[in-house]
Amino acid sequence: MVFLIQFIILLVLFSTQTTFLENFAIAGVTPDLILIFVVFCGINLRGSRGIGMGFAVGFIQDCLSGGLLGVNTLSKSLVAVFFSALKDKIMVEGLLPIFLFIITASLLDGIIYYLVLITLFKGEVPGSFLFSSLPVYALYNGCVGPILFYFLDLNRKWVLRKFSNSYLRQS
Amino acid sequence: MFKKGIKGKRLITLLSLLLMFSLALMTINIKREKEPLFFESLVIWVAAPFQAVFTQTVSSISNVFEHYFFVVNASQENELLRAEIDQLSREKNELVERIKEHERVAKLIQHEEPQEKKLLVAKVIGRDATQWSNVIFVDKGSNDGVQGNLAVVTNAGVIGHIIQSSGSTSKVLLITDSRSAVDSLFQGSRFTGVIVGTGENETHMKYVPMNADVEVGDAVLSSGLGGTFPKGLKIGTVSQAIKKKQGLFQEIQVVPSADFSRLEEVMVLMP
Repeated sequence: MVFLIQFIILLVLFSTQTTFLENFAIAGVTPDLILIFVVFCGINLRGSRGIGMGFAVGFIQDCLSGGLLGVNTLSKSLVAVFFSALKDKIMVEGLLPIFLFIITASLLDGIIYYLVLITLFKGEVPGSFLFSSLPVYALYNGCVGPILFYFLDLNRKWVLRKFSNSYLRQS
Repeated sequence: MFKKGIKGKRLITLLSLLLMFSLALMTINIKREKEPLFFESLVIWVAAPFQAVFTQTVSSISNVFEHYFFVVNASQENELLRAEIDQLSREKNELVERIKEHERVAKLIQHEEPQEKKLLVAKVIGRDATQWSNVIFVDKGSNDGVQGNLAVVTNAGVIGHIIQSSGSTSKVLLITDSRSAVDSLFQGSRFTGVIVGTGENETHMKYVPMNADVEVGDAVLSSGLGGTFPKGLKIGTVSQAIKKKQGLFQEIQVVPSADFSRLEEVMVLMP
């Protein structure tokens, strides 16, 4: 049941990301709901399940993109590894911590993407990427992050109440 | 301490596996650029119906807001008129191109009629799931005869070209993507250049010589070179032209004539 709920959440997030989110673009940049979901999973799933989720979600994102296959698999997995390793050492509650963690995750995600692309396709990455698109992307994600975190956390608490599972962390 | 060691080893193994898998995917992707992998087709096959439902729902809701709540009749009429203007603009461009072609060809004895391309109307069902590439998904794929490298247009102008098609969906690389390049020419002066994407909502026209007379508002059309886009399709209009003293070529910005933020239906030019 927990897997089914996760699948539905993913379906809604991917459908939102690939359809009407474009209408909320700021300076051509839209928030990355998938990245926020990966950060949430990295922090809230038990053991290394968050990494598995980051990997799977990154791979799906690659399949639903026209970019280089594997870039998001790598970046989302590494973001999940980062937060999975930190989850016992950090407190992710309140607006400011979530805002800062999502900004960190966005910068990490963008820099991995940039490094892969300049290594493999030198010259095809616009020069403005690091200094204009990436900061806007990180800030926008940082603003949307707490809202999505709130709903994902509501769902987590509901799942913990309704179903016994070894998948989600208690707090 | 022991536990920590195990954890560290596991983490390194996991990271190595992730890196290897990602690099393998990238390599496979570069080698088989136009053919989707099995997993890609599977994910798109699962996601496409939901994307279509989402797009339809959002479109219906926005229609209600735009056409009923905001302005009852004028908005709908305006949209019809805009579509008509786009169509007339395309027809006008085609006619101007034909006139120019006739003027040039009139000097020759043999005359060939330009071949009419078959159009396949496709609905836009989704956009790229990432931030960094400008790609749309359409609901026509290899089952409908769509294949790689076919041009995709609207009445307003060129949109992009098919980069990958699976059963019932295809990926279209927009001309605003930084990997896109379209050989093009100015409608008036006939100087040629290459339209390349910037990743944003505008494009650059490269390799236009310094002696070319370019002004803001000049129309840019596809030149037909390269084989993907037929000659004479409108791409956009010049929004900025700078002649730098040191450069070999002009720096020209072109605003695409199609509105990429409001794409609902597109036409695939079939072979």
